Amino acid sequence: MKRTIPAIAAHIALLVALICCVGLLGNTENTEGVSKFNGELEHNVTLRILENDTAVKQGYLGELLAAFNKQYASYGIKAVDANMDQYTDLANDGPFGYGPDVLYQANDALMKYVDNRHIMPLPTESIDCFDTVGEKSWQAYTRNVEGTDYVFGVPVNVQGPLLYYRKDMLPQNWQTDWDDDGDGICDIVQYWTDMYRYSKQLKQGNEVTADGAKKFGYMRSFLEPYFSVGYLYSYGGYTFGNNNTDPKDIGHSAGESYKGAWVVRQLASVMDERCIDDSVTVTAYSALASGEYFATVTTPDVYTLFVTEMKNRGYSDEYIEENLVTANLPLLPASGDLEDESKGWVESRMMGGIQGYAISSYTKAPNAALAFVNFATSYEMILRRNELLGIVPARTDVASAVGGLSAIINSNLGEGNIVVMPSISEVAQIWTPLQTFFQDLAKDPFRTDGYKYDTVNKIKQKLVEVDEQIYSAIFTLA
Amino acid sequence: MTANNQSFWKKTAQGVKGFFTDLGKKIADWFRGVPTRWKKRFDSVKTLLSNANGKVMASCFVMGLGQLLYAQWIKGLIYLVVQVAFVLFFVFVGAKGIVGLFTLGTVEGNAWYGVEGDNSVIMLLLGILSVIALVLYIAVYIANIKDAYKIQCIVESFKQPPTFRRELGTLLDKNFYKVALALPILGVCVFCILPIIFMILIAFTNYGGKTVPPRLVDWVGLENFGKILTLSDFAPTFFKIFGWNILWAVLSTFINYFAGLGLALLLNRKCVKGKVFWRLFPILAYAVPGFITLIGFKFMFSYGGPINYYITKAGGNAVGFLDIDAKWPSRIIGLAVNAWLCIPSSMLLATGILSNMNTDLYEAARVDGASSWKQFTKITLPYVLFATMPVLISQFIGNFNNFGIFYFLRGGLYIDGYFLASDTDLLINWLYNMSIDNNYYSIGAAISIVIFVVTSVISLTVYVLSPSYKQEDTYQ
Repeated sequence: MKRTIPAIAAHIALLVALICCVGLLGNTENTEGVSKFNGELEHNVTLRILENDTAVKQGYLGELLAAFNKQYASYGIKAVDANMDQYTDLANDGPFGYGPDVLYQANDALMKYVDNRHIMPLPTESIDCFDTVGEKSWQAYTRNVEGTDYVFGVPVNVQGPLLYYRKDMLPQNWQTDWDDDGDGICDIVQYWTDMYRYSKQLKQGNEVTADGAKKFGYMRSFLEPYFSVGYLYSYGGYTFGNNNTDPKDIGHSAGESYKGAWVVRQLASVMDERCIDDSVTVTAYSALASGEYFATVTTPDVYTLFVTEMKNRGYSDEYIEENLVTANLPLLPASGDLEDESKGWVESRMMGGIQGYAISSYTKAPNAALAFVNFATSYEMILRRNELLGIVPARTDVASAVGGLSAIINSNLGEGNIVVMPSISEVAQIWTPLQTFFQDLAKDPFRTDGYKYDTVNKIKQKLVEVDEQIYSAIFTLA
Repeated sequence: MTANNQSFWKKTAQGVKGFFTDLGKKIADWFRGVPTRWKKRFDSVKTLLSNANGKVMASCFVMGLGQLLYAQWIKGLIYLVVQVAFVLFFVFVGAKGIVGLFTLGTVEGNAWYGVEGDNSVIMLLLGILSVIALVLYIAVYIANIKDAYKIQCIVESFKQPPTFRRELGTLLDKNFYKVALALPILGVCVFCILPIIFMILIAFTNYGGKTVPPRLVDWVGLENFGKILTLSDFAPTFFKIFGWNILWAVLSTFINYFAGLGLALLLNRKCVKGKVFWRLFPILAYAVPGFITLIGFKFMFSYGGPINYYITKAGGNAVGFLDIDAKWPSRIIGLAVNAWLCIPSSMLLATGILSNMNTDLYEAARVDGASSWKQFTKITLPYVLFATMPVLISQFIGNFNNFGIFYFLRGGLYIDGYFLASDTDLLINWLYNMSIDNNYYSIGAAISIVIFVVTSVISLTVYVLSPSYKQEDTYQ
């Protein structure tokens, strides 16, 4: 026994010594490097490009890749479709080498990667479109990290809601009865008060479509905060303070945002219960085409879906072009009461987003990736993108050239009527509390056992609670 | 309270008391036997260490060396290879893994500058894997010493040690269970024990929120469990959801089981014509993927769905079956939809069991004047319960952790008085809200442990009290 135990001890000592000397002490220290953008293009590399599904399906990505590959063939740089889900999570895939090199997503999706440095700060001054993209668009991709402001994405497309309506469903006497300001444009699509009045009239009128469906005026599901929170913004509410960068300052109850909530409640009352859940969203395209709904609000990129539905119902292209109208959102009454026009008007503000390109921190070819982003955001490519996909360019020169919706939305963005979604990761915590609130509020006019939000104080109180709920979701377990 | 009820509760109380008394006795006996068992083991180790010769000591120093010195070449080489493999594993992975298990990393990554840094989660996983490898190595090392000593004893008794081929033959014959179980045990360690330990350990870290790799994760002890019980936002939600979760699991299991049994009994009756045809309908419901059915039901009960369409057509007001105010309607719809999804499987199970019933029992009961209800409670139910108790328990656990029902029917709501949850959410939905939607992985892991403890205790108690356990021989 005296000899056996030392033998076992020697075995253990031998193993520990081996492991410590070779295993642990052999561990090399990581050293800090330098910025990866040195201006020297990497040769013979393949870039994986993640684009949205529409760009892939409509053939835009194919065109873009072909044009880029042709231009950079002499460097051996080849860009290919990353062939991944458009909402792929770089944080999961990137560190292990599976993610894309270049990503195209909305600002809230891209900027959440900044927290753990999954996307790289870009030398934006070296990008050709730097001067042609508006400041508000750049702001969506700017973040202060350790005292320095960095830009992490290049804006491509501005998303903002528009009013869609059927011109052929305007009252026949609108020029005499619905144009008080005499500007030759029907007040119904210029003022929410008139839209409310007309919708109420339609709802009470019990008119039906050829399919036997009851006609409504304005219809929109309030379930989606993206389209509903703007009513709060219009009266002084905001999501996060300090230009949507301070999650400790949550302001949906700020200013006179309760007026916006009251507008939502009033608008819900001229719809039916389908505005409480997502039933309206699902049926909006066919319902507008069938004449069941007069108007709705949604993003510009779904215009073709309305057109398709109208075509399916036998309308000609000319008729659709003439009668399916997209317009800026109507003005809201300063009083916050859709039945009171006495105190003037305020602009409708809506939540919007900026889609753009970012470069993965895990790319092996950062300079080639930057060259791709530069190429994809060039005047010609953005113009082509607009032609093929109907996007609203963030490049103001392209927006001016194409005019129409692009000009309206860019103008809204510049004037602050499109409030860009916060680009901080805490934004993930706002959706469900807001969705619950708007669902609750939209249901209120239809409650038969007593209203929950029939006074300003009740709405104010609830908005404060929503802010507290969001704060608690962000910070309780952080 | 009726006499029958009193008798039922008395029997149940006695059953529970008996179970815990038996369990207590078994545990006490086990602890009483510990000193004896350890003394015996210590004596055998002492004998081995005292009597070991130089060759055994060689095996103590380098695995397989003793066997090689006894000319047991193949076995010796196998042990030696195991030792070399272990050393290599630990040099390249294991040592860092063990250290990483304690530190969870020291260098934070910075992808902007190509600093890879430590990935705390990977380190935790590697650490667990290394500990498992170390335990396995110790087991092999002990086996190596025992084997060398066994050879020593054989040689000292002037016998020839068995050849490798003979030992292999013994292993494949007398000790075949060891060979057969070796791979499954390894698989269980890697694919079952490793993830479970990983999940348990996550509950003791601050992994989640913004603290995800490349940021470094730290150990926080019992802080997460403390949060569940003490945070003013959190604790009330936990207890409210927990209470509803228990009620849901009991009700849904009861409904699904007895409705399935009832349907099976109904379709088993001789008077029913076209049994195959009638059995087809529930099977069709069963065959449709669950989430498709759930989305379908959600649409049916939505404001734009067919139910509300006909209500409004008939002049009524649309009903918010699943909306924000519909706590109990949603819960009842959840139970009904779950029944729609699960009754077919219960029915099929019961149909199979009923087909094996001895019809003489019913004949005898009828002769004795037993009513149909009496026959059901005294013959059918005990038999079916006996045969299906393990399935019933698994159904209970399945229902307790039924994620899909309320996620699809009524997801995306945070109700007043609930923290990141709605009044129909089960613990598993809440867990999802926190760990997937909100990234609070460590809190999610702590809740998982609570769920595990609750379901284990209930399942074990029910099983031990059931006839399947107590009267295992009755029907054999």
